[in-house]
Amino acid sequence: MIDLLQTLGTGILVGLVYALLGLCIVIIFKASEAFNFAIGEFLIIGSFLFYTLFFNETIPWYKALQLGTVIFIFFSFILFYDKNFRWRIALPLGITAGFLIYCFFFFGLKLSTLIASPILRFAVAFPLGLLAAGLVGAMVERVTIKPLLGRSPISMTIVTLGLGFLLRASVQLIWGSHSYPFFLDLPDITLEFGELLFLSDPIWAGILSLLIFSMVIVFLFRTRWGLAIRATSEDQAKAMAFGINARFILLIVWGISALCIAVAGIMISNFGALQVGMGFVGLRAIPVVLIGGMDSIGGALIGGILVGICEAAAGAYIEPLGLVGFKEVAPYLLLLIVLFIRPYGLFGTVRIERV
Amino acid sequence: MLAVENLRVVYHDVISVLNGVSIEVKEREILIIIGANGAGKTTLLRAVSGMIDFYDGDIIEGDIKMEGNSIKGLDATDIMKRYGVTYVMEDRPVFWYLTIEENLKAASFSRWDKRVKADMEEVFDYFPVLGALRNKKAGYASGGEQQMLAIGMALMTKPRILLLDEPSLGLAPLVTEELFDIIKRLNASGITIVLVEQNAHASLNIGTRGYVFETGRIVLDGAAQELLENEDVREFYLGSGEKERKSYKDAKRYKRRKRWL
Ligand SMILES: Nc1ncnc2c1ncn2[C@@H]1O[C@H](COP(=O)(O)OP(=O)(O)OP(=O)(O)O)[C@@H](O)[C@H]1O
Ligand SMILES: [Mg+2]
Repeated sequence: MIDLLQTLGTGILVGLVYALLGLCIVIIFKASEAFNFAIGEFLIIGSFLFYTLFFNETIPWYKALQLGTVIFIFFSFILFYDKNFRWRIALPLGITAGFLIYCFFFFGLKLSTLIASPILRFAVAFPLGLLAAGLVGAMVERVTIKPLLGRSPISMTIVTLGLGFLLRASVQLIWGSHSYPFFLDLPDITLEFGELLFLSDPIWAGILSLLIFSMVIVFLFRTRWGLAIRATSEDQAKAMAFGINARFILLIVWGISALCIAVAGIMISNFGALQVGMGFVGLRAIPVVLIGGMDSIGGALIGGILVGICEAAAGAYIEPLGLVGFKEVAPYLLLLIVLFIRPYGLFGTVRIERV
Repeated sequence: MLAVENLRVVYHDVISVLNGVSIEVKEREILIIIGANGAGKTTLLRAVSGMIDFYDGDIIEGDIKMEGNSIKGLDATDIMKRYGVTYVMEDRPVFWYLTIEENLKAASFSRWDKRVKADMEEVFDYFPVLGALRNKKAGYASGGEQQMLAIGMALMTKPRILLLDEPSLGLAPLVTEELFDIIKRLNASGITIVLVEQNAHASLNIGTRGYVFETGRIVLDGAAQELLENEDVREFYLGSGEKERKSYKDAKRYKRRKRWL
């Protein structure tokens, strides 16, 4: 009994993180019907950005210079072609952006010397890191997804596959493939009731994931931007015809998605260490969304928790029987079973049909 | 007010749909466009409203001018915000999974301000049925209600010109009549209307002028009353020609008589 409760609790806490991953896939799928296979790479990039901020990690000047150059080219290009700035304005602005990015990666923000208290430092670095991750998501969308608006969702999906390889290689070039120790030093909130023990890190992960999850929901269902996103998700053409800029909405959705993925990434890194290879965790989102239903936000929550529990149960009850590594496979088995019973996932949209 | 000059539009770089179309919309009129299926009426509205590139279409020749300013190639959102051109797509473009109230709110996204609530009540005044259904999902509303909602949403964008694409599609005659009444009222309140219709008789009756489209060209134009009395229009669009049955030869004769604009 104690065992079961322990397993359930641990599973749910991890499951909340998976739910967040699922949410990222679901909102992009709803908005553009594309599946973002680059989720693992967004996860690492978000974590590394946070790492840079929180631990004041710096990189050699030539790598920082490369990053700065990319940003410079990107911004000048956008300002010149998209916003119709004259090049005399676009170029200096682009150079400034590139230079700031260079400084950021070469010198770091020095948060670790400025703010001594780890919890305060986290409170500053966390939103900043998420913002940075969101911006990266928006940038990536602008370059790779936006030109495909109105085309088949399959082409977007394929683009995200390629994008994944590109981003992974870039991260590897910049930060290498060794692992970085990751210790957030958040206040200890370990829970202990009798024989039940829940460690502090998973609890933090669960709480923060749930918090971000609910913030996204409030944003989607209680603000006018959220309404515009939901409208665009239903039909891009209709939304455009009624004055909603579908292109910009897609940008926002990718930004939000990248931001949430970063939260999940930071929490997962905090369980162990951060390294490029960690990206595969992002693929946990696949069983999550398929179980919950590709287009259901509530489904992502339930799916995430189910996958978390399933994994924990497999680890606690089946692996000891000698099936090492079964934990990794268990969610996919669950997925198969669910799909046999409900091919659209547990909470796939009930299509409106008038009879 | 709005002038389309010698417009040529192709889809996917190869399918030529409009082959030099010129129309003029005068302030505060109800302009009727009729034409067979596939003639390119929808394409014309897409081009004017800036939606054409979403469908992978290109304007390869000609210009679209709103009060002398070219709006060719602008974003759909810009055209709507700056020039007040709102396009109501065919087949009841409402968001099925949003409630009626949310639909109206979504449509006011581009001009969000304090007056949205008041404007919404105004729409409910025009369409009392919608008021009763405010919290119902639009997907469950009837066809007529959905079309009214679509026009209500267009009103939320504060249009100066409304481009309506076959609003009577799939509606019962009585509902169509009600809808056309409302269109007339909207026009009386100062909104210029471009109405694309299959329902030639009813629409020409409320219109001021009309154009007849055929395979990407305009073949006839004139005052609505004139068109209603025109023998060819009666024959081919109103289905009430003098002779009982038209032979293929007669159709050819009609083709020859058409004016190419
Ligand atoms: N996205 C598209 N890609 C390729 N061809 C298209 C596209 N949209 C329309 N067409 C073609 O362009 C032609 C004109 O279509 P359009 O929809 O403008 O006609 P319409 O006059 O509105 O017809 P209807 O009365 O049936 O609505 C048709 O032959 C159609 O097949
Ligand atoms: Mg049409």
